[in-house]
Amino acid sequence: MKEIVILSGKGGSGKTSLATSFAALGKEKILLADYDVDAADMHILLEAKHYKEEKFYSGFEAVINQEKCIQCGNCKILCQFDAIEEKDNRFYINPIDCEGCGYCEMVCPEKAIKMKDAEVGNFYVSNTRFKNVLFHAKLNIGADNSGKLVSYVKKQAKKYAEEEKIDYLLSDGPPGVGCPAISSVTGANYVVIVTETSLSGFSDMKRLHELVNNFKIPCGCIINKADLNLKVKEEILEYLEKNDISLLGEIPYNKSFPESIRQLKTVNEYDKNMAVLIKNIWEKIYKTNL
Amino acid sequence: MKILFTSKSQGMDALLDPHFGRAKGFILYDTDEKSDKWIENTENLNAAHGAGIQAAQKVIEQNPDAIITGSVGPKASAVLSKTNIKIYLTREKQLSEILAEFTDGKLELL
Repeated sequence: MKEIVILSGKGGSGKTSLATSFAALGKEKILLADYDVDAADMHILLEAKHYKEEKFYSGFEAVINQEKCIQCGNCKILCQFDAIEEKDNRFYINPIDCEGCGYCEMVCPEKAIKMKDAEVGNFYVSNTRFKNVLFHAKLNIGADNSGKLVSYVKKQAKKYAEEEKIDYLLSDGPPGVGCPAISSVTGANYVVIVTETSLSGFSDMKRLHELVNNFKIPCGCIINKADLNLKVKEEILEYLEKNDISLLGEIPYNKSFPESIRQLKTVNEYDKNMAVLIKNIWEKIYKTNL
Repeated sequence: MKILFTSKSQGMDALLDPHFGRAKGFILYDTDEKSDKWIENTENLNAAHGAGIQAAQKVIEQNPDAIITGSVGPKASAVLSKTNIKIYLTREKQLSEILAEFTDGKLELL
């Protein structure tokens, strides 16, 4: 089994639009995972119906035992996140503001505060309308994505791929280069970097490449919105050449990207010309990872 | 010399855990005494953030001469690069088999 992860550094460069298009091409031959747990959206476009659901825990949340609390208010004074509210001379934790740092537990003279595992959302296994099986999750309001959640989704997806003898796991990564992105890269066989011809797109792409390089994982690059800034495009091409990154394809700026999303379609379903371009890119990725 | 493996379970028959920060645990193998010691890593496996850095600290405290794992993330590498510990990368295989490869000098140094 080989895992191909799609990442970009900068958000909005076209990761999910391409990942869902690849999903439509690969059908049941590829397993899908959505690591952008913060704002998972693959399941919407792919009309995924879940057949398995589990609670998802990550980090901690403080709980005050009202029977032990002597209303000293130390916790409220010291909380760095203003997560403790006072009402009718009683103290309550606001779970949305609580970061789970445990400072209040440490300073409570009566040991009335305990940290418990925070329930942050749900984990799902679903079938998409293209017959792929999709591993994904949905976070509650105010909950954060984390390396722990990403590695959990990854572990479950890989286990399923091994058991069902599916050769490819295609994963849609989170934006950024922080903890969730690092967990996405861990153990992957190939990284597809989707960039765009903007200064921030190029800058984030370099940071992402540094991260991928650290793991010594081979990668290829798709330049999206390739005709928006030709000067930046030249710089990207130079960078690819210098760092031995293969160019998987160039996609000109195209309104089919936002328009297809509006109509709940993948880009290659919506636009025949784009479909040809995307199919070529997918075949290149596929061949690289035979 | 002392070699630290990331491991999925206890004993030298166990499989290497390809993760470093979120490894199930570590096995500290002493080549002179031919003994192996199991070290749990549950707290980092379950950490929301910072698993790599904290695992690196935990490993350094064991004072190994070499670490054998599947991959090391950017933050853990930054910490480990400040030490003299040598890091070797390999695939998910039985630890006893990896140890033999290490002794024969067949492992790739990071």
